[in-house]
Amino acid sequence: MDTPSHRTLRGYAFDPSLSQRLDTHRINQVYYKVPWETIDYSDGTIRGEYVEIIDYDPSISKFYESINFDEKAILANDGLDPSESNPKFHQQMVYAVVMTTIKNFERALGRKIMWSTRKLDYNPEKGKKKYEDYVDRLRIYPHALREANAYYSPLKKALLFGYFHSNPVDQKDQMPGTLVFTCLSHDIIAHETTHAILDGLHRYYNEPTNPDVLAFHEAFADIVALFQHFSFPDVLKHQIASTRGDLTQQNLLGELAQQFGVAIGGHGSLRNAIGSINENTGVWERKQPDPSEYQNTLQPHDRGSILVAAVFDAFLSIYERRVADLNRIASNGTGILPLGELHPDLVNRLSTEASKTSQHILYMCIRALDYCPPVDITFGDYLRAIITADTDLIAEDVYAYRLAFIEAFKKRGIYPSGVRSLSSESLKYPTIKIKEENNGLIKIVADFLRMYANIVAYHPKREAIYEITYGAISGSINTHMKQLIGYEFSKRITGLHQRINVKFTQSREFKELTGLIFGEDGAEFGIRNSRTYPRWASFSIQNLRVVSRVGPNGNKLNQVVFSIIQKSGVIIENDKVKRVEIPDRDKPPKLNPGETYYIYKGGCTLILDLDSRKLKYAIKKPLIVFPKNRRPSRIPELNTEDIEKQFKYIYETNVMTMSEFQRYFSAAVDYNALEPFAMLHQH
Amino acid sequence: MEEIKDVEIRMYRAGTGDCFVLKFFSDTSEIFTMMIDGGTWSGTKKELQVIVKDLKNYVGNKIDLLVITHEHKDHVYLFSACEELFTNDFDVDEVWMAWSEDDQDETVKEWKEKYGQKKRALALASERIDKGIKNQNVISQLKNGFQGEKVVNRFKNFASSLNDFKALHFSVDKKKKYKGGLKGMEVVKNQISKDNIRYCKPGNIEKISKLEGVNFYILGPPLSIDAIKDHGRTAEEGDLYDHNEILRRSDSFSAAITNTNSSDNISPFDPSYYSNRTSIKKYYNDETEAWRTIDLDWLVSGAGNLALRVNSGINNLSLAMAIEFEDSKKVMLFPGDAEFGSWKSWHQIDWEETGAKKKHLTEDLLNRTVFYKVAHHLSHNGTAKEKGLKMMKSSDLVAMATLDFKKISSNWKSTMPNRGILKDLINQTRGRLIIMNEEDLFYDFDEKVPISERIKDERKRLTDKEKSKFNASYKEHKLYKQYKLDVTKN
Repeated sequence: MDTPSHRTLRGYAFDPSLSQRLDTHRINQVYYKVPWETIDYSDGTIRGEYVEIIDYDPSISKFYESINFDEKAILANDGLDPSESNPKFHQQMVYAVVMTTIKNFERALGRKIMWSTRKLDYNPEKGKKKYEDYVDRLRIYPHALREANAYYSPLKKALLFGYFHSNPVDQKDQMPGTLVFTCLSHDIIAHETTHAILDGLHRYYNEPTNPDVLAFHEAFADIVALFQHFSFPDVLKHQIASTRGDLTQQNLLGELAQQFGVAIGGHGSLRNAIGSINENTGVWERKQPDPSEYQNTLQPHDRGSILVAAVFDAFLSIYERRVADLNRIASNGTGILPLGELHPDLVNRLSTEASKTSQHILYMCIRALDYCPPVDITFGDYLRAIITADTDLIAEDVYAYRLAFIEAFKKRGIYPSGVRSLSSESLKYPTIKIKEENNGLIKIVADFLRMYANIVAYHPKREAIYEITYGAISGSINTHMKQLIGYEFSKRITGLHQRINVKFTQSREFKELTGLIFGEDGAEFGIRNSRTYPRWASFSIQNLRVVSRVGPNGNKLNQVVFSIIQKSGVIIENDKVKRVEIPDRDKPPKLNPGETYYIYKGGCTLILDLDSRKLKYAIKKPLIVFPKNRRPSRIPELNTEDIEKQFKYIYETNVMTMSEFQRYFSAAVDYNALEPFAMLHQH
Repeated sequence: MEEIKDVEIRMYRAGTGDCFVLKFFSDTSEIFTMMIDGGTWSGTKKELQVIVKDLKNYVGNKIDLLVITHEHKDHVYLFSACEELFTNDFDVDEVWMAWSEDDQDETVKEWKEKYGQKKRALALASERIDKGIKNQNVISQLKNGFQGEKVVNRFKNFASSLNDFKALHFSVDKKKKYKGGLKGMEVVKNQISKDNIRYCKPGNIEKISKLEGVNFYILGPPLSIDAIKDHGRTAEEGDLYDHNEILRRSDSFSAAITNTNSSDNISPFDPSYYSNRTSIKKYYNDETEAWRTIDLDWLVSGAGNLALRVNSGINNLSLAMAIEFEDSKKVMLFPGDAEFGSWKSWHQIDWEETGAKKKHLTEDLLNRTVFYKVAHHLSHNGTAKEKGLKMMKSSDLVAMATLDFKKISSNWKSTMPNRGILKDLINQTRGRLIIMNEEDLFYDFDEKVPISERIKDERKRLTDKEKSKFNASYKEHKLYKQYKLDVTKN
């Protein structure tokens, strides 16, 4: 018999608190359908392909018994009954939501997701030759903290969930002192999982180089959690019915972490994408977009909620447009629906539209990640990525999705820098046109990447994908993998890193395109020289991935995407770049009083079309610029403007947004970077 | 009875921490001597004795009124370090403390008991972290990772910061074990005071017979949340303080830390769910996977939050008062280390009278403040902005801040001074901000502009008359800085 395609597991749609409310208890239990996989229980852990759940509670030094999903009784019942007092159900809930979130990402991206690698203390001169380790599974600790906190630890590649005693303002909402488990909240689990997935895609998004970066991490994690609400049909119908199809009213779909929000002494859910309860009147109000908010809000969660509201707003306006005809039919053209409950058929139709729209929006948001710069992301960059990714796949924008996004961002004062107008055409990144002779160089790289894409396509195992990708970049590949792959790569190959080095050094055009230095002038810009090519500037290649998607009209997208990162060491005095100094691991730079050493990361995401073998987009955060008003204009200069802006943000503004916890316990700027989410999520 | 003309405010320079003496003068003579707190972060007995001897000499071994704002080392350490000096040949007529120090009061007793448990938990957690960061296997594996040295230092830095919090709050024995409350507080309660402690509640207006026309408005600490709720308001997160409320968030953490019996008592689940399989322990404790273990992390998260909660809880229990001179309407504000939650509650006190122009009396008092003892050493949460500093509108405003970078926990330097508050204070006082020690303090982030220079610059905005008056009233000495405040009508 074939293995089943899915495993069905019961869980909460939101969190346990909604099972105790008369109006929601019926819809709060849902069936999560996660892809079937073989799970290893032999060590007493739950170990699948992507995650391993270890239910260890360090506060009492105890391990809890693990659930075995494959036990007959559990299998036949779609898992355990939801229960707050059974740790095995907690494991089930976490597993179900984490896997659902992963599945959503993989569907949208069209490829397997990878966790971020564990970077090692790389120091080849001292015999530490390994740069990073592959991490096969995200580790999950459902009962790791005794605090109102849960976080993703990039250091441990783990999710840590906490539990705590509830402390509500109003005893009507919750019994004080009840235990609240963050690992039972769909929203919290989905949020933390998204942090981990995003870290696997863009590891530098942990570094707050501008006020948007951490806010983006938070916002994105919220967006995923929010739109997953729409994938529960009963919840959706219930909410559509109770709002009479008007989702701009207060409803559960736009709320995040109800139980947690009340338990820490709030008035309702932790965050809400549509509106909130007015503290003075106690009445729920829809939030109006306020462009000044984006200017003045710096705390990452608060700033992130501006982006969440923008995306949700885009969703609402598309939904409204999509159901306009249904509303006309149901209201006999008056636009005013008859009093009383909506007809169940209408509820069904509205729900279908809402569900479809929400999935489109979620996928647009996820796909855009492939079109983002590798460092220093801003909300504006993200808007451009959304528009570009969507235009690439869907040429004709029938329901004006892109316009809805642009409108929603505009209303909140989020403008990308360097665009002439806020039209879809100018927001889309321009397609690159390079000289014919350089196109020849690109074609050689493209042929190589075609081969890479072909090999990856036939190796579904994630570890194999990692090894092949690592080999394709570095040119070195271990024997085990050689056997596994079998052909072309078993010969000695020239990796992408070397190819870029050789090809891009040949023309100045590539420097302009990427804003990075290739070839001999590295030292002039504070860039270390490469170990392999001692005369050429060093850079690293990250995140090589195949983007293979099919659009709604059957059009195919065949792209390979990768990012190039380059570091430049600068010495700053009085907020100005004074001179460059090549970073040296063993020798900290000599500084005069008043000087600070700063390492700036420039980067560029390159998108290469495999069909035409052309470089399509270069989305960059340049390390060098070519001043237009200077002659000769083709001599590059260090991008001091951005470096200084970034430095000032990190050392001044960012300090102001630190939490009390950060101020007292990890005041040094770089300590925060180590566990960015642990600090952010303190409540 | 003679009318008070001026008050000499002397800030002793014992180190970051408060030790003030106020002398009230009439035209002809010294009428009344008041002392507010006696603390510092650090200092040897020898150094501190010099200060205390000078103080005794200055007051003629006699204080009319001693005010202890709250039980933190930087407010009471002198009393334990120089116990003999304070308990011999030193007279205190009356002692004032916050209502929350009244050990006879049943609610206070209950609260103190709970608070003691939290402090004990903090001490135990800190011990465990100290021990945890000595686990060689974990440490060496952490070091193997990217920026491993930094990762390890982060833990060490955390442990040291936590130890500072301990020192601020309670006594420890030689093995760093929790011993009880701060000794300085006991010295005041049991030896210096002679059963003459008055416990002050917000809304009280205290008077002193020797000081005619002087009113002491008690602003804080706020009463429990229930009292505030009675006025029809609901609490907002982090604003109003039931002093247990905020600590309750650490309940599950401190229960686990202080538990000495079987873990079944504190387990969130029935013990039948425990797994006894050795394989899972082996898997978790696998030598090569030590970098993924979480035995330190839960302590860091829990203990850090607990320390902050204990800390701001105590700060908000500061006895805060406004001293008003009826004739001139001038006000001196001594808030202890009150944080935002306390400041906010002052505006909800049900005073019997309203202020000028029908303002809430607290706002009116702030409007008339001419002297402000900066709360919590210029930290970001010490001075409320909208509900505090912005309301101090007097053009005569002078402020004193008890910050000394030479004598402070290194972990505190990142929180003090707060640039925003510093900027506002220097601006509003036009440079009449007197800081205990300006050395190593800078006005800006780049540490280019020393505070002293900025203050000098700002004083150029004073009129000639103001300038000469300030210079005549201000006195600087190795052991103290002093300002003579004119409390008559201008």
